[in-house]
Amino acid sequence: MSVPALQLEGLKKSFGKAEIIRGVDLEIGRGERHAVIGPNGAGKSTLFNLITARFAPTEGKVRLHGEDLSGLQPFQINRKGLSRSFQITNIFPRMTVFENVRCALLWAQGYRYSFWNLVNRSRQLTESTDAILDQINLSERRDLPAGTLSYAEQRALEIGITIAGGADVIMLDEPTAGMSHSETDYITELILKVTEGKTLVMVEHDMGVVFNLADRISVLVYGEIIATGKPADVRGDPRVQEAYLGEALETEQ
Amino acid sequence: MELILVNLIDGLVTGLLLFMLSAGLTLIFSMMGVLNFAHASFYMLGAYFAYQISIALGFWMGLLIAPLIVGIMGAGVERYGLRRVHQYGHVPELIFTFGLALLIEELVQFIWGKNQMPYSVPDVLNFTAFAIAGNSIPAYKIFMIFISIAIFIGLLYILTRTRVGMIIQAALSYPRTVEALGHNVPLIFMGVFGVGTALAGVAGVIAGPVLGTFPGMAFVLGSIVFVTIVIGGLGSLWGALVASLLIGWITTFAKSYNIAMSDILNGIGIPSPADLDTSAFRDLWTVTSPQIADILPYILMVMILIFRPQGLFGKRQS
Amino acid sequence: MTDTNVKDPARSKEQITTDPSKPAQRMGAGSMTLTLTPWLIGAVLLAILPFVFTSNSALTIMNQMWITVIFALAYNMLLGQGGMLSFGHAVYAGVGGFACMHIMNASDFFASFPLPVLPIFGGLFGMGLALIVGSFSTRSAGTVFAMISLGVGELIAASSVIVVAFFGGEEGISGDRTYAMPFFGNEFLQQIDVYYLISFWVIVSAALMYLWSRTPVGRMANAVRDNPERAEFLGYSARWVRFYSFVASGFFAGIAGGLFAINYEILTEENLNTASSGIILLVTFLGGVGFFFGPIIGAIVFTLVQTVLSLETDLWAFYAGTLFVATVMFFPGGLAGLMMMHVPAFKLGKAGYLVRPYIRTLIPAAIGTLGLCALVEMTFHVRHAATGDTQMTLFWIPFDSHAILPWVIAAAIALIGLGIARATTPALRDAWNEANTAGDRS
Repeated sequence: MSVPALQLEGLKKSFGKAEIIRGVDLEIGRGERHAVIGPNGAGKSTLFNLITARFAPTEGKVRLHGEDLSGLQPFQINRKGLSRSFQITNIFPRMTVFENVRCALLWAQGYRYSFWNLVNRSRQLTESTDAILDQINLSERRDLPAGTLSYAEQRALEIGITIAGGADVIMLDEPTAGMSHSETDYITELILKVTEGKTLVMVEHDMGVVFNLADRISVLVYGEIIATGKPADVRGDPRVQEAYLGEALETEQ
Repeated sequence: MELILVNLIDGLVTGLLLFMLSAGLTLIFSMMGVLNFAHASFYMLGAYFAYQISIALGFWMGLLIAPLIVGIMGAGVERYGLRRVHQYGHVPELIFTFGLALLIEELVQFIWGKNQMPYSVPDVLNFTAFAIAGNSIPAYKIFMIFISIAIFIGLLYILTRTRVGMIIQAALSYPRTVEALGHNVPLIFMGVFGVGTALAGVAGVIAGPVLGTFPGMAFVLGSIVFVTIVIGGLGSLWGALVASLLIGWITTFAKSYNIAMSDILNGIGIPSPADLDTSAFRDLWTVTSPQIADILPYILMVMILIFRPQGLFGKRQS
Repeated sequence: MTDTNVKDPARSKEQITTDPSKPAQRMGAGSMTLTLTPWLIGAVLLAILPFVFTSNSALTIMNQMWITVIFALAYNMLLGQGGMLSFGHAVYAGVGGFACMHIMNASDFFASFPLPVLPIFGGLFGMGLALIVGSFSTRSAGTVFAMISLGVGELIAASSVIVVAFFGGEEGISGDRTYAMPFFGNEFLQQIDVYYLISFWVIVSAALMYLWSRTPVGRMANAVRDNPERAEFLGYSARWVRFYSFVASGFFAGIAGGLFAINYEILTEENLNTASSGIILLVTFLGGVGFFFGPIIGAIVFTLVQTVLSLETDLWAFYAGTLFVATVMFFPGGLAGLMMMHVPAFKLGKAGYLVRPYIRTLIPAAIGTLGLCALVEMTFHVRHAATGDTQMTLFWIPFDSHAILPWVIAAAIALIGLGIARATTPALRDAWNEANTAGDRS
């Protein structure tokens, strides 16, 4: 039995008296595409922030490939091969698209804090950056400041930055939030393409995207996972329907 | 024993004066995220205006009118300067207030020249209130203490007991929500900035006669005020109070007790080197506490930053 | 916190990419000619300037200018490249300078190497201090960093009176540069020798600082400036990136300090205090923090304004302060930003559209401003001249500052000049839009 890519053990988080994450246990296998869904305010983004050490958990542990991540800083976790995107587009708006991606490649390519290498003298760096731009279809936007891109393009860039470092666990926080149907389809396809062979954890509201992409789904309600399983099983789970899908149906009516 | 009492009073005067500046600075900082570098310049303007008014109308009218003018100028700076620079981000805002501080100093020199103004304590208060063991305490100092405390009680009352105070407190934490509730947040910002600078103006009016009214007065006090709010914790009003008093007392006591470094070092068992005059550390050995009184706040600040970066009362930054 | 950057259109319009690399990128990594050209031109200019401006005072001004250039570029490694606002950067240059002074006075050691090597020691001492201070000050950027820099700067400046052994107390310390080992027979007795020594270091330091901005840690400094959180999730610790920038900046500031020591042969508390730190902020911002060459322009313009204007008027600091505040408010890109604003028009081949409107607006505006300055000068004279002294000279015209006529004339010039400028501004705006729009307007 191989070690799971990501393992959450009794994860809890309180802000003051409010308990947002109330004990989450979850195992995500290597190469699995896992979606975390749940109603608004269930704590999905908080869970993400706990895993990536943006917040420190009140209790519990996160393990990456079996290794305990407690006490590590975000940049240390990133170096261990976990990369994330953000719900609110989080890029370097004043730098060019090309530079955005290149920055994401620097650490992974071993440049660290070096001041004896020149970035544009490295053919490998330029080529892999261009390869990623090609993957996310932004080659034509290469030299524009990232802040001038359209919303969907910025989201694509965000995904590009997230995967550029070659991390094998990719976490995407609502990659299709605020997008039109065609844009959503475009991003879904993009995600499928760029996370090939990697472990993917995503928070997503759009059920179409979730059922298209995910191998397994966890349903988070009020800080607890009430169900985990294959999409079909989760869909059929009465508790899930009551807590989440039912609610969603109601609002749709 | 009596000397301690005298120093306590002196330190309290300095501390309260510092607090009058750091309170406004903290209020402005926690509301708008802007550290107003020119804050002490408004303190200077308060002193100069009060001096100019006192020539014609006497000290008391100066105390009444000068802070008002300073407050209006402050509000104007917020409305026509800061609000414009705000769109560029925090660093340009800081640079703007820094430039403003330079400009106000130049302006003051332009109008009043480089010399100290003969702005002095009003005759009514120019007597000895009481004496402790031969050390006379001027009535003006007692007046300074009372006026600062009165202002703070007033401020506290407004902030915690009135409707406006409630809105300000809410706007401190949730400006957008408050705006959504129909309150004019820009107006509140302008008002807070005006009141904060007016407070600095009051401090200038009452400190001018004692500490001197000259173009460098803003700078002398200004950097200490920043140190104060860093020590207290950026954005914490209580921190500002504690740090102001702390600095007031530390500097006063360091100045009045002549403690030599060599005594301290000898006291903890390090003997003085025989060749003191040629030793590389001779400056360390010969230092005395009055000499370093003025840099103690900075040393304290560096210590705080190393061991408790969020300041005494600051919230931990995430 | 970071999202506002993206959303606020007013802001993104003002955004200026701190990316001196852009042309280089488009050319690809291979071609070096175009990147080298500005450096070669710079070197040639530095070499021939003393033949153009031969006077001693010109040399003095230029020496000061190039030292300021290095210091301002070093400062911009923090402010422009790293987004760190320091109010106490003079101490790194100052400490570097003081260290060089002590080396000059340690005659045996000083005689063992040629003078041009000395600034390296200044750099090392500046860097050493930056290592210590940076270890706790770079934890955060923004306001906290600014406050720490101010506090530490004040602390060191204030200690200069106490630590007499190192800072020499009130009178500072002085030395003699000629005791160094002769450098190819040159003992740097003449100002011109020092000029070439400084010029050499300007080119070397500027090139090194430019190259620094092209290294991984230099690129990440920009990333951390724009979005520290994102940088952390790319494997870089924002704090360490800031720390490296800070240390490098301390090194180059120290070099500037070392050159100062060589040029003036004396350092005092003034080299450390907040006023000096403020001036370098002013110089850098005036020149423009968004571009690598901005601080160079700032240093040149400021030094000229300072030396030329201070001869003409007592109020030069007042004007400089006004200019600074106006720059922050209206042209946050500084002079470099203003220059680069015109690049699109040039690319479209429409820069010519701007010439006439500029003449129509800027010349009246300049004349009007001079009128305003005259009013300011006259007010100053009336207030501060010795009693009975009513004669003053402005723009080579002597007159009585207490008479009505000069006031009327100055006010009229100011009003008319600024009035015309105001009236022609809409035309300028139209021309600007036209010049920046591709294609012909039908």
